[in-house]
Amino acid sequence: MRKIILLTLLLLAAVTTGVLAATPEEIVRKSQAVFLYSGNDFKARVMMKLISANGQERLREMTMLRLNTGPIGGDQKYFIYFFQPADVKDMTFMVHKYAARDDDRWLFMPAVNMVRRIAMQDKAASFVGSDFTYEDVSGRDLTDDTHELAREESVDGKACYVIKSTPKAGTGYAYKLAWIDKSTFLPLKEEYLDRDGAAIRAFSADEVKEIKGVATITRRTMKNLKSGHRTEVSYKSTDYNIGLDAGLFTERFLKQPPKKWIE
Amino acid sequence: MKKFSLVEFSVDHPKTVVILAILVTLLFLTQFPKVKTDTNPKNMLPPTSAIRMWNDEVEKTFNLYEDTLVLGIKNVKGVLNPGTLGKVGRITEAILKIKGVAGRDVTSFSTIDNVSAEAGMLKVGPLMATIPATTAELAALEETLFGNPLFVDRIISQDGKTTAVYVPLEKGANGKEIADAIRQIAKDEQGEEQFYVAGDPVARDTFGAEMFRLMAVFAPIAGMVMLLVRYLMFRDLFLSVTLMMDAMLSIIWSMGLLIALGFPVHIMSSMAPVFLMAIATDSMHIFNEFYFRFREKKDKRTAIIETMAAVRRPVQNTALATAAGFAVLMFMNIVPVQVFGGVVAFGTVMLRLLSFSFIPAMFTFVSEKKLEKIAHSEDMHSGATSVFLQKLAAIGVNHSRVTLGVGIVLALLAIVGISRITVNNNMVEWFKKGSEVRVADSVMNQALGGTSLGYLVAVADRDDAIKTPEAMNAIEGLQRHLETLPMVGKTFSVADYLKRINLVLHDNDPKFNVIPDNKETIGQYLFLFGMSAKPADLDNVVDYPFRRANIWVQLKTWDATAMESVIAAVTKYQDDKALPLTFKPAGTAYFNLVWNHEVLWDMVRGFIIALVVVFAILALDFRSIRWALIGYTPLLFTILLIYGTIGFAGKNFDMPISVLSCLSLGMAVDFAIHFIGRLRQRLQETRGEPSEGHLAAALFWTAARPGKGIVRNALLFAASFAVMILAPLTPYVTVGAFIVSMMLLSAVATIICLPALIIFFQGWLPKGE
Repeated sequence: MRKIILLTLLLLAAVTTGVLAATPEEIVRKSQAVFLYSGNDFKARVMMKLISANGQERLREMTMLRLNTGPIGGDQKYFIYFFQPADVKDMTFMVHKYAARDDDRWLFMPAVNMVRRIAMQDKAASFVGSDFTYEDVSGRDLTDDTHELAREESVDGKACYVIKSTPKAGTGYAYKLAWIDKSTFLPLKEEYLDRDGAAIRAFSADEVKEIKGVATITRRTMKNLKSGHRTEVSYKSTDYNIGLDAGLFTERFLKQPPKKWIE
Repeated sequence: MKKFSLVEFSVDHPKTVVILAILVTLLFLTQFPKVKTDTNPKNMLPPTSAIRMWNDEVEKTFNLYEDTLVLGIKNVKGVLNPGTLGKVGRITEAILKIKGVAGRDVTSFSTIDNVSAEAGMLKVGPLMATIPATTAELAALEETLFGNPLFVDRIISQDGKTTAVYVPLEKGANGKEIADAIRQIAKDEQGEEQFYVAGDPVARDTFGAEMFRLMAVFAPIAGMVMLLVRYLMFRDLFLSVTLMMDAMLSIIWSMGLLIALGFPVHIMSSMAPVFLMAIATDSMHIFNEFYFRFREKKDKRTAIIETMAAVRRPVQNTALATAAGFAVLMFMNIVPVQVFGGVVAFGTVMLRLLSFSFIPAMFTFVSEKKLEKIAHSEDMHSGATSVFLQKLAAIGVNHSRVTLGVGIVLALLAIVGISRITVNNNMVEWFKKGSEVRVADSVMNQALGGTSLGYLVAVADRDDAIKTPEAMNAIEGLQRHLETLPMVGKTFSVADYLKRINLVLHDNDPKFNVIPDNKETIGQYLFLFGMSAKPADLDNVVDYPFRRANIWVQLKTWDATAMESVIAAVTKYQDDKALPLTFKPAGTAYFNLVWNHEVLWDMVRGFIIALVVVFAILALDFRSIRWALIGYTPLLFTILLIYGTIGFAGKNFDMPISVLSCLSLGMAVDFAIHFIGRLRQRLQETRGEPSEGHLAAALFWTAARPGKGIVRNALLFAASFAVMILAPLTPYVTVGAFIVSMMLLSAVATIICLPALIIFFQGWLPKGE
C-alpha cells in the first residue's frame, strides 16, 4: 500500500514538472535562437586553430558576418573573409543557408581572380576544414530529430537540461546529448554518440561573455574523439545588430568586400 | 671427472634421475598456457629503433594508418554494371559497421572524394553517392572514373574489371577478425564476382595461424618419423622412445623457459623445436657406441660407463660447438635473433646434460636379453652399412688425390654459384603459390597499382615551402620518373590533387592539367581542397606547416629489392637535378627492406663469428690447429656447396636461409668432431700394431663404427625433415630441403673427404697426441 502511494506521488511529481517546464522541443528552439540566431545580424573576428592529434597546428583567421533573413531556424546568409593563412588573404566565402533546400555556396580565389560556386555535399561536411560541420555553424532543422529531456545536470555549477536529440534519418552519429544552460539557453557542452553509446565528437563552450546584452560563446572547442583532432575557435570584437545589408551578401562583393565590414 | 660421476650416479639411481627429469618437465609445461605469439615483422626491431621511430612519426604527421586491408572485387564482365555497383555500395556500408574499422577513411566507389565541375559548379563529394541505374548514369560514372588519374589503378583497374575497397584499421584492431568479417560480408553477396581480401594484416595473421599449425602438426610428425626410423635402426621401441624423449624434454624446457621469461614466440623461435630435434640426434652416437660396447663386454653397466667415457669428448665438444654457434646470436642486434640464439643454445646444453644422465638411466631399464638380440646385428664386419661405409672411406683413402681434386673443382664451382646469390626477401612468397594470400595478392597486383606500399617523404627547409611551384614540380617530376620503373605500379601525392583542382576549375581544359605557376594559386587551391574534401585526403599527403609532403608509392611486388630500386632511383634523380627538397623513404615496404637487411646481416655476422668460435673449439678439442683445419674442411665444403646451389638455383638469400647458415655450422661440425676424435682415439689404442697401413686401418675402423653413427644421424635427420617439405609455408619448406641436403652432404663429405685429407696430409699432421 505504501508503495502505491509513493508511486502515485512520484507520478504526480513527474507530471507537474513536465507541465511547468518547457517541452524538449521548446528548449532546443530557445537554445538555437540564442546560440545561432542572436541579433538581427552578427559580426566577429574569428581565430580558428586546427590541432592534429600529435599537436600540429593550422591557423585560420577570418571575419565572419551573419544576417538572419528568416525566422529562428530559418534562412541565413554568411560572409567570410580570410586573413590567414597568408597565401589565402583576400579569399572570401559566402553561404546562403536555406531551411528548406540545399545551401548555395560561393568561393572567391584572388590568385586566379575567380569566383566559383561550390556544390553543397552533406550538411555534416566539415566547415572550412575544421572539426565543426556546416550544421554546427548554422544549426540542424528542429524537425530532423526527436528531442527528449534525458535528465537535468549541472555543468561547472550551472544548472542544465540534458537534451537527447535522435536524428530521424541516417547521420554519422546515433544521437546527440546537449547540456543546455537553464538561464542562458546556451549549450555548455554537447556529445555526439554512436550506436554503442561511445562519444565520437565533443563540443564545449569554453568562455561565455555578454555582448550588447546577448550571452555569447566567445571561445569554443570541437573535438573529434576518434581521430584526436580538435578545433579551437575564439571570437574577437564580436558585435550584434550593426546594420548589415542583404546586398552585401552577393557575388559582386565577394571580389571586393567593403573594408568597413571586414576589418 | 665430474661428468663421469653424473653418468655413474644415473646408472645407479636411474629412477631418481627419470623422476627428476619428469618433474622439471612438468614445471616447464605449466608455463605453456601463457604462450604469446608475435607475427608482426615490425617487432623484429625494437620500438626505439630509428626506422620505427621515423615510421611512427610519418604515420602521425600524415595521419596514416598502420594497417589497411584491401578487398578486391572482380567481375570478368566489368564491374561497371548496376548489379556489381550495388554490391560495392552494400559491402562498403556493411564494412563501415564493423568494429575496429576506421570508417571515416574507408575508400571505395561510394566513399572516395571526387573533385569535378558541372555547369560551372565545383563539386567535391563521394564519387558514387547513389548506385547508377540508367545507361547514361553508368556512362557518366565510367567517364569520371577513367578521366581522373587519381582513380585509375587505385579503385578501378584499367580494364574496368576490378575495383577495390580500402579498409584502414583503428589501432589495436584485430586484422584477422576484420578480414573474416569482410569475407563473410562478401559471401553474402555471392554472384558472378570474385572477392579477394589482401593486405599486410591478412598475410601476417594467416602466417601466425599457420605457424602454430606447423608447430602443433609438423613438429610432431617429424618427431614420429624420427621415432619410426630409429625403431627400424634399433628394433627397440623403448630405446627409440628414449631417444625421442631426450629431444622432447629439451624442447619443453627451452620453450618453457622462453615463455616463462615473457618472450613471445616469433617466426624465428618457432623454429627452435625443430632445430633442437635436429641437434638431439647427436645422442645417436651414444646408442651406436653402446651397442658395439655391449656386444664386446656383455655387461650392461660396464657398457654404459665405457660408452660414455668413449663418446664423452666428442659429444661434449659437438654440444659446445653447437651451443657456441647459436650463443653468438645472443650478441646480435635483433631481439628475436638474440632470443632464438639463446633458446637453442640453452636447449643444446640441456640436451647434453640429459645425454649424461637421463639416457644412461634409461639404458638400465632395458633387459640384457633384449640388448643382446639387438647388439647382435651391430657387427662392424658383416653389417651391410658398415661394409658400405668402409667402401666409401676406401675411395678417400685409396684415391686421395682424385677425391681432393674433385672436391676442389666442386668448391670452385660453388664459389661461382655463391657469387650469383641475390639478397632479397618477399613476405608474400612465404606463402605457397595457390594459397589464398598469394592468389589475392597476385590478382590485385595485376589489376591495380600494387599491394605493397612505401612512402617518400619530401622534406623542405622551411614552412610553407611545399606550396611553391618548384617543390610541387620536383614532387611531380619524381613521381613520373618512378612510374617508369617496372615494379612501381602507381604513385600519388599532393601534386596530383593540385593538378586535378586546376583542371576542374578551368572546365577540364587540358592545358590546365599542370602545377600552377605561383605560390598564391597553389595555396588557394589547396585551401579550397582542404575545406571541401575529407580531412584525410589532404592530411595523408602534406603536413600541417606545409614543410613536408608524402608521396605514396605502390609497388607491384613485396620483394625487398623493389623498394631498394626505388630508393636508388630517388637518389639518382635527386643528384641529377638540383632539387629544393630531400626525399626520405618510409612505410611498410621500406620497413620490410630495413628489417630484412638487419636480420640478414645480423645472421651473416653471427655466422662469421660462429665460424671463428667453432674453429677455436675444434683447435682446443684436438689440441692442434692442423687437425682443426682438417676437421673444418668438410664443414666449409658442405656450406660452400649448399650456398653455391642456392646461387645457381636462383633462390634468394632471404631471412630463413640466413638463419639456416648457423644450423649448418653447428651440425656439420659434429660429424668432423666425432670422426676425428674417434679416429685419434683409435690410433692411440692401436699404437702397438705395425705401422704399415696403420692409418688406413684406423680410418676404415672409424668409417665403419662411429661412421655408422654419423650416417644414422644424417639419415634420421634427413628422413624427419623431409616431412617439412610438405609444409604450407615456404620458410619451413626451405628449412626441410636445406637440412636434408646438408645432412647427406656433410655425412658424405665427412666419410669420403676426411679420409682423403688425412691420408694426403698425414706427413703434415701431428703424430699421436
